Amino acid sequence: MRKKYLNLDPISLFAWLALVGTGLLAIYSATHGPSAEYIDSAEAGNFESQLVWFGICVFGLVVALLLPVRFFQSMAFPVYGLTILLLVVALLFGREINGAKSWLFFGPMSLQVSEVAKVGTVLAVAQVVGMRRPKTMDLRFAFILLGIILLPASLIVLQNDTGTALVFFGLIPIVLFWSGLDMNLLLLMISPAVAGYFAVVSMPVAILFCVAFVGFMWWKTRDKRIGVVSAIMTGGVVALANVALTLVLSDYQVQRILSFTDPGAEQFRSNVGFHQVNSMAAIGSGGWTGKGFLQGTQTQGGYVFEQSTDFIFSVIGEESGFFGSLLVLILFAVLLVRLLQLGANIKHPFAVLVAAGASGIYLIHIFINIGMATSLLPVIGIPLPFISYGGSALLANSALFAIVLSMHLKKDDFSIYGY
Amino acid sequence: MDESRSRLRIFIALIAVVLGILALRLGKLQIVERSDHTGKSAANAVREWRVQPPRGRFYDRNGVLMVDNEPRYSLFVTPRYFDRETIPLLARLVRLPDSLITQRFEAAAKHPFQRTILQGDVTFEELSRVLEQRHNLPGIDYEITQKRRYLTDARMTHALGYVREISDGTLQAFRDQGYVRGDPFGQGGLERQYEQSVRGVPGSDFKMINIKGQVVAEYLDGREDRPASNGLDLNLSIDADLQAYAESLFVGKRGGVIAIDPNTGEVLAMHSAPDFDLELFTHRLDPQVWDSIQTHVDKPLFNRVTQSQFMPGSTFKPLIAMLALSTGTIDENDTVFCGGGHPLGGGNFYKCLAKHGNLTVEEAVMHSCNTFFFEMMRRIDVNSLNRMATAFGFGNKPFLDIAASEVATGNVPDSVYYNRLFPRGWTQGTVMNLGVGQGEGEVTLIQLVRYLSVIANGGTLVTPHLVRSMTDPITGEETFPDVPPTTKLDLNETYLKIIREGMRRVTAEKSYWLDIPGIPSMAKTGSAQNTRSDEDDSVFIMAAPIENPQIAVAVLVENSGWGSTSAGPIGSFMIERYLKGHIEWTPLRRSILQQMLNTRSAPLTQRTNLD
Repeated sequence: MRKKYLNLDPISLFAWLALVGTGLLAIYSATHGPSAEYIDSAEAGNFESQLVWFGICVFGLVVALLLPVRFFQSMAFPVYGLTILLLVVALLFGREINGAKSWLFFGPMSLQVSEVAKVGTVLAVAQVVGMRRPKTMDLRFAFILLGIILLPASLIVLQNDTGTALVFFGLIPIVLFWSGLDMNLLLLMISPAVAGYFAVVSMPVAILFCVAFVGFMWWKTRDKRIGVVSAIMTGGVVALANVALTLVLSDYQVQRILSFTDPGAEQFRSNVGFHQVNSMAAIGSGGWTGKGFLQGTQTQGGYVFEQSTDFIFSVIGEESGFFGSLLVLILFAVLLVRLLQLGANIKHPFAVLVAAGASGIYLIHIFINIGMATSLLPVIGIPLPFISYGGSALLANSALFAIVLSMHLKKDDFSIYGY
Repeated sequence: MDESRSRLRIFIALIAVVLGILALRLGKLQIVERSDHTGKSAANAVREWRVQPPRGRFYDRNGVLMVDNEPRYSLFVTPRYFDRETIPLLARLVRLPDSLITQRFEAAAKHPFQRTILQGDVTFEELSRVLEQRHNLPGIDYEITQKRRYLTDARMTHALGYVREISDGTLQAFRDQGYVRGDPFGQGGLERQYEQSVRGVPGSDFKMINIKGQVVAEYLDGREDRPASNGLDLNLSIDADLQAYAESLFVGKRGGVIAIDPNTGEVLAMHSAPDFDLELFTHRLDPQVWDSIQTHVDKPLFNRVTQSQFMPGSTFKPLIAMLALSTGTIDENDTVFCGGGHPLGGGNFYKCLAKHGNLTVEEAVMHSCNTFFFEMMRRIDVNSLNRMATAFGFGNKPFLDIAASEVATGNVPDSVYYNRLFPRGWTQGTVMNLGVGQGEGEVTLIQLVRYLSVIANGGTLVTPHLVRSMTDPITGEETFPDVPPTTKLDLNETYLKIIREGMRRVTAEKSYWLDIPGIPSMAKTGSAQNTRSDEDDSVFIMAAPIENPQIAVAVLVENSGWGSTSAGPIGSFMIERYLKGHIEWTPLRRSILQQMLNTRSAPLTQRTNLD
């Protein structure tokens, strides 16, 4: 018994606590600073509310640690089914917040179903991979995984929560990667996204990338077919993006997509670009060491839109500077890498997949969120894991973390059921 | 297992790459482009409020506070953050019509991010009401500035000057002395002359502004703030009571007066009539009012003490007498016969007012005998007159520590001047008019009072000035302004005494109604032709007590006749008030005052040299 508890991983637990704590401090600064009396009443209670959610998460973590490992596996499909049901219910009866119809209300509690759906999806995917005989990878199997992910993703698209849906799409290559998909295929899968990004930022860079990628693939495989496919995947997307931006999409949509490339420009400034300009001003003005807790002029003046939720990183960037920002990135790195290691240590495909899925989902969130706050990416409204205000997201992200931690705690139990 | 190990490594590498990209991006924003963003963030979120220090106060020579400051509250709007829905609320709070607020807001809305004044000069109560409601009034804030408060009956319009917001032109010239738009700047008079001293050093108050344009907090808890340091207080040589009294005597008259301490040059009172109320400039000045001041036929902006040049008339005679004695033209016991005019030109051209008979120089000064002084100038070279007059301060721009657009120099002709004026030649007869203060010579009141002081104090040319010292209100440290030193003239004391005796007899015998009961004085009246009207200018100089002079006065009343009836009583009563603190009323003195008060300057009939 005693030996078992030594498996409770202190490093990831510390990283998790530190990140949630950082988030609480940032939310506190955004809502309880010297100018607190001037902020919107809707935001005023975010800190207290997040504190309650944190309490719930700690409680949930303890419960998760007490549960047997088999429980998570057996609950994978029921949870997945439940989240699909909730998504449908939300789509039919949910309430719209910020344009996304993904919220369910239970009395005073509100739940963003799309966040919870991540947990269900990761568990279901892990379960499917876990049930399979090791090291077999056929197309049918890949399509099952694809279906498991695309079902909630498309429901979320219907809810008009494109940002969250994007995370599900990003999950696809990660899951396929961990379930043993051929590396070349994987590169081919990712390449359109990269090509599309460059197509928006700079056409010459995009074309350069296409040429380099096709050359690399051909050099690596010496397979003409792969070369052709890679040319179609990258060049095609670049061409498509070009057509979409110039012919298909409306001005408004084009502006929204393009605005991050130069948010301060006249035509974008009054629009979403305004948020990014202010966010960059906040982060950039933090300098090396930041302006100090509760001392950020942009934060305290409420200049950055959604600064306790999606743009929370502007608070950290401004008040704790480059050092603070870097520390947060390091904490994330520690947590993500540690989760992967824990998963690998458990030596069970289910655990590996849950850990990798969790880590992957966090990584996508982090990249999109901080990328948005620093104008590296367009404004896509998804939270920064553990840090942004938002109970559902904190709960969902912490649940994945708790499951990995719990499975690692009892990793010896896996051997009983293992191969 | 190897396969899964390598995938783990690849994924860790992916994490490292993604987070690395973000770290690089953050480094670019926070380190490379830091100053850019710092500027941007400071530009919208931190605003510097200029803290205007209290402007230096003005005290009179007896320590009476004449000018200090009071707060002035102004409301500002930043249109970008303002909510039109709040116009009725705001209008109710400051008791202005909705339409006016709407109108001003719309004018301001052309520059949405620029903070624009919405209403200057709201009362403290109105400001308090607005502040109570400030949560409901986004985009509205206020400023406290200072305005001048005048505490005594003395207006001192031309000497004090006033304070206005610095003009664009002035700002260009004074930017490197730390002025910014909106700063107060002295206009004319002492306010302008001592601007650098009374202004103090403005401070800065940094405050945080939120996205709605509201002031939300002190920036960095005020650590960056710079306190303002007070301006220096001016200790004036002015006697506030005498000043107010002088002003009261000029009812219905155009003219000016300057009273100085003849020993030091300290100005006790100076007034130019007509004047205007400086209170007008503490509020938002109605352009129509300003227009009426500028275009008024009597030229209230014209400072008749420093800018008006006129013929001195008979007040010039003591100088001629001094010149005659000094050059040996005449001995103190020599006489000249007056038969009612100078024989040159047949006795009709150079007239005297009476047939004085044989007169010594002392008697000639007392009687103001034209014949005598015509004769003196017939005998004396005009360049000798020029030298002596120049020594007495005539023909030079006199120092006075008030800023004026142009200080008149007056004119003391010499032969070069006449050669230019009369290229075909001129005779001694041309110059003889100078002997009685008519003709080409022109003086100003400051020059007259300096000249009077030389005679009164026994030969010292003083420098009139209004500021005795400046006091730092915090430390109490006293500094002294730069005033050019007095000059001891090389004059014969015996001759001066003769002149003084002649002038003593002016009040003692000739114009006895100007005599101050119990205080022997010296004076000279004058009336001078001018181009403004047919009526002569009334000119008067007087100093007392004669043995130990404490006050010297020069008075000009434009176009009001004899020196002894309008300018004279003003000087005489002022001196009495100053030396005694009150007027000793006799029936004669009462009727003289009454007569003087009833005297009006004749309306201007011709275009004047003021234009």
